Parts: sequence; C-alpha cells; structure tokens
Amino acid sequence: MIQLYHVYKQYPGDAPALIDVSLTVAKGEFVFVTGPSGAGKSTLMRLVFCAEAATAGQLLVFGRNVAKIKPSHVPPLRRAIGVVFQDFKLLHYRTVAENVAFPLEVRGLPVKEVRRRVGAMLRSVGLELKADKFPLSLSGGEQQRVAVARALVGDPALLLADEPTGNLDPDRTVEVMELLHAANARGTTVVVATHDRSLLERYKKRVVALERGSVIADGAEIRKVGMA
Amino acid sequence: MSALRRPVYFLRRALDAMARGPRVTVVATGTIFVAAFLTGLFAGALQGAQKLVAAWAGEVQISVYLDPSADLEAARAAAAAAAPGRVVEAVTAAEALRRFRETLGPQGALLDGLKPGVMPPSVEVRAPGIGLAEARALAKRLEAVPGMREVDYGSAWLERLERLLKQLRWAGTALFSALAIGSAVLVANTLRLGVFARRDEIEIMKLVGATDAFVETPFLIEGMVQGVLGGSLASAALLAAAALTLPRIGAALGLVAPIARGDLLPPALLVALVAGGGALGTIASALAVGRELKQKRP
Repeated sequence: MIQLYHVYKQYPGDAPALIDVSLTVAKGEFVFVTGPSGAGKSTLMRLVFCAEAATAGQLLVFGRNVAKIKPSHVPPLRRAIGVVFQDFKLLHYRTVAENVAFPLEVRGLPVKEVRRRVGAMLRSVGLELKADKFPLSLSGGEQQRVAVARALVGDPALLLADEPTGNLDPDRTVEVMELLHAANARGTTVVVATHDRSLLERYKKRVVALERGSVIADGAEIRKVGMA
Repeated sequence: MSALRRPVYFLRRALDAMARGPRVTVVATGTIFVAAFLTGLFAGALQGAQKLVAAWAGEVQISVYLDPSADLEAARAAAAAAAPGRVVEAVTAAEALRRFRETLGPQGALLDGLKPGVMPPSVEVRAPGIGLAEARALAKRLEAVPGMREVDYGSAWLERLERLLKQLRWAGTALFSALAIGSAVLVANTLRLGVFARRDEIEIMKLVGATDAFVETPFLIEGMVQGVLGGSLASAALLAAAALTLPRIGAALGLVAPIARGDLLPPALLVALVAGGGALGTIASALAVGRELKQKRP
C-alpha cells in the first residue's frame, strides 16, 4: 500500500525533516506513526498524499511512485486517500452534510447518490441529527467525527489521520479512534500520526517511531520500552 | 469534470460564493465598471467628434475659382459633370462682388469704386451631408474644371481637425490598452483577496481530490459575472449620460441635425463593453486563482 525507500525531505534553510526513511505499510494494516513534535510525522503524511514532494528517495502509494508524480495525476490518487487533521479542516459556511458531501461532489456523483451515501455515513458516525448544522455549532469531538465522515465517505483504500485526537478530551478521543478502528475493520488501511502514548497503549497496533526525521523503531516493542 | 458537464452546479457555487463575499464582488464589479465606463466615454467622445467633423464638412461649400477669362458656362457644365446630383451654380465676378458687399453689411460701402472684375468668377458646388473624405475627392475632381485657378472647400481647419482625431484615436487605443492592463491587474489583485480569503476552501478541495479545473471554474464564473455586471452598469451609465448631455451639446454647438445617441454609443460598442468586462473579469480571476493553485502544487 505504502512503500518508502530512502526518502529524504529537506526544507530550504531548515534541518532535514526526513532522513533516509524506509518503511512499508501493507494493505489493511493499522499503523501508528509516533514521535515528538518536529520528528517528521506530519511531513511523512504530507508526502504520502502528495501535498509535498520528497527531496530524494522513492515513495510508492498504491504501487505508483509519487515522488515523480505529474500534477495532473494527483487528484485521482487523492480520491483514494482519506485525510483527517487535528484542526478538522471543515468549511464553516457549509453544513455538516455539505462538508461530508464535498469529496463526492468532486467526483461528480449524481445528487441522489451523494445524498444516500452522506446519509449513511452520518448515521455511521452518529451525526445524522446534525446534518443541517454548521460545524462551529458542534463540539470538537463532533467536528472531528464530521472530518472522519468526510474522509471515509468516498470509501478510500487508505486513511491518513494526522493527530486526529490532538484537540479532543479522552472520551471524544475514544469515539474518534473507534471510527478509525471500524474503518480498518472494513478493510481500509489506516495510518495515524500521534504523540499520544495512551493511544499506543490502548490499541495494540504496529508503531513506527520517528525522531529528528529518522525511523528509530518500528514494531510493537516500542510500547514496551516506551520510546514514544 | 468540466463546467460544461455540470454548469448548474458550478454556477450555484459561484453565486453562493459571491453572496458570501459581497465586498469582493462589489469592489471587483466597481473596478470593472470604472474601466468600462472610461473606455466607453472615450470611445463615445471619439465617435461624436468624428460625427461633428463629418457634419461640418457637409456644411462646407466647395468653390472653384476661375480665371477672369474662363468660359463660365463651360466651367459650370464641367463642375456639374464632376459632381453629379449636386447643386452647381455659376457666379460671375459682378455677382461675387455683390455677395461680398452683402456679407460686409454696413461696411459694404468700403467696396465702392472697385471694378467688378476685382473678384474672380467661380463655380459653387453645394453638397450637404458630404463626408470629409468625399469632399476631398470631389475637390480633387473639380481641379479639372477648365479655367480653374483654385479649389477651396475650407480644408485647412478640417484637415487639422481630422489630424487631431487621428491622434486622439491613437491616444484612445493607448488609453484603452493601459486601462485594460491596469484594470486586469487591479481586478486580479481584488480577486486575489477573495481567493486568499477562500484558500482554506481551495486547500480542502484539493485535499479531497479536486482537479485544478474543478477549483478554478467557479472562480472564473464569478469573475465573468462580475465583469458582465460591471460592463452592463457602465453601458447603462453611458446611455444615461448621453441622454442627459447630448441635447445640451447639440444646442451649444448650434447643430442643425442633432447627434443621436446611437451615433455616439452604437450597440456594437455597448456589447463590446459588456463582453470586454466579462473577459476582463474572467482573465483577472484566472490570474488570481491560478497563482493560488500553483502554490498548492507539490
């Protein structure tokens, strides 16, 4: 699903954000990417959904080398990837239903089909009664559930979540993580970037630890030594 | 997915965005309005000046002055042949002097004692409604009248006016180009503010897999609508200004046939202002959103 071979990312005038990162995420996996702030977690995610290009190395997503992807090939790739952010990135002037419908509108789906899928998705995240509300009238947890619904409504093969629970209290964190877990159970590959150790403890999944741009550990043993 | 496949969807999104950001819409429309109005005003003034020149040229009488020994009747016949359909009159030297005396009024007595032959005989050609170019061509033909000494159609000041008009036309073209470029930059900057305010929306659209065309289309429609609106308002304002000022201008210049509104602001010019406004808005939008999209590329 995701393969990185000796990937480097260097921002002009800055320390390297990623240094010789090599790792593989298999189809259907649930992986935590962890590390302190500035470790390169978000950069890694941004490279995978082509928000940025790697400085060097090979990065394959769905078997395609995105390190050399043409700009015109990015949109189809992104439609197969759902992305969730810490700050939700919702459109505040659009209703919950309209926010969730956005990825389907982009694909040009018929209005009826969009309504059907949005309704089903809102039911699955428990927000069917908030469909006509605007995001700012919702709690943080609800807003993140809307963001997760938007990321999942297009049935993506891959879900990337960058600190999805960073702004949430413990109860809301569990709600959101359960949604990601459920998506993974339905076959979606999930990669979650987080610095929250409690998540690593609670969900016994593979953990990739980054520090200063390098992978320092990869596997379940990280939880035991508390490297995160 | 292009706007051609989902025109209603994109139009709805464009109108929705305009309703949400009325300030940008008003400023962009206003800028295009000013540019189109100034362009139209200049073009209308040029058209009016040309019309005036043509009208004044038409009122000029072409005189063919002859040698005193010339055969006046033969000259008249030749002039009539050169100016078919025009009123041609032979004026003897005595008649010319009489008319001159009449023109001088009370001072006509000054001419007492002059011999009748002091004024040359002439052939007068009256050509109402004739254009300047046509008058010039006719004058050229009249040079072939037997016994011709000089042909006068008051050309000096008309020529000067026409030269001035030509220069104004060049200035108008330069002004229009400067206005178009200036307006495009100004409108693009205004729209960039709107695009900047909606950069989150663009980011999210790109995030969920929108193509550049999908992102751009509503912005282009917005720019076009604002441009057409600005151009239409400018056309309406020009028509109103023409309706208010033309009768006064006609009266002030003592024109026999007043300048019609359509002479100054022909439908083609008004359509061009509306279409030009639309094009300006679309180009400015394309520049503004294109820049933002370029920054979002990996």
